[in-house]
Amino acid sequence: MSALKRVQQWATFARIWHIYDAAWQNPFQSAELIKRYLMGLHKPIYHPMNDCGDNVIVINSSEIALRGDEWKKRSYFHHTGYPGGATWTLAWDLHSKDPTMVLKKAIYNSMDGNLQRRYTMERLFIFPDANVPSKLLGNVSNQIRQLRPVPKRLDHYTEDEVQTCPKIIDYPTDYVVR
Amino acid sequence: MVFTSAINLIRAKGPDEFWRKRRIFKLAAHFVGRKRNCYSIAVRYVHRALAYATKGRKLKKMDMRSLWETRVTAGCNQHNMEYGTFRESLVRSDILLNRKTLADLAIWEPHTFKSLTDIAKRRAIDDGLVCLNNKEEPVDRIITRGTLANKS
Repeated sequence: MSALKRVQQWATFARIWHIYDAAWQNPFQSAELIKRYLMGLHKPIYHPMNDCGDNVIVINSSEIALRGDEWKKRSYFHHTGYPGGATWTLAWDLHSKDPTMVLKKAIYNSMDGNLQRRYTMERLFIFPDANVPSKLLGNVSNQIRQLRPVPKRLDHYTEDEVQTCPKIIDYPTDYVVR
Repeated sequence: MVFTSAINLIRAKGPDEFWRKRRIFKLAAHFVGRKRNCYSIAVRYVHRALAYATKGRKLKKMDMRSLWETRVTAGCNQHNMEYGTFRESLVRSDILLNRKTLADLAIWEPHTFKSLTDIAKRRAIDDGLVCLNNKEEPVDRIITRGTLANKS
């Protein structure tokens, strides 16, 4: 095998590190996207028996956005195994206990339940904020594009931008601004 | 065919018992345990295996087809394209390649595959297929009747 072919082989089968910013993203749609990178579905050489998945680092998982009132309605089931050991935790409660868990479960559930699933999950690293160990961050060579643009909140605009923004209406003099 | 005598209705016994069993045992040779040694158990598992083989001939084709679709989808996504748009545009461009060929091209001939996606993108833009992910991407090196008509 020539040197060129050898390098081509390494480049084809090397595991790449991707980074994904989960801020303001739907965790369930993001899971479908991240799953593709974890399982290697984004490579034309994909085969179910071919271990060609990549590593993915997810940051800002504490800032995920669920739609509607799903924070209050979506429940996560757990059973300790003992009688009466069933618990149903609401999404907001689970998120306050561990801000990575909602996204992790979304990705885990988006994959088929087979023997490979737990090993695939080991290639996923989720962090609640942007503090990633430099050991991991040094490997990253690709950023996965976010599914939807991050909206900018009013208190994130500078004072000048707010003042210079063209006004559409003047509030009536007797209007109480809360 | 009309049977005029009852003698033809008797079931044919087939060959000698040894050869009948041997035919089953040959099919059961790769089984494990009593399935390969005891005739009465072996014959049941051979019949089951043959039934699976019959089903498998169809399933194999379906599995390969879905695998090729996965691979071509991966190749399309590398060039910001949906699978459905890609196939539809290729058909409209009279490029009649099947899933297997496209998957092989995506793996072994990535540059050829890229030129196919370029042609498909140009066709999708000309025909107004609205499924392109990234409309700003330039596909100027493909010249079609549509582009010539627009320029003149």
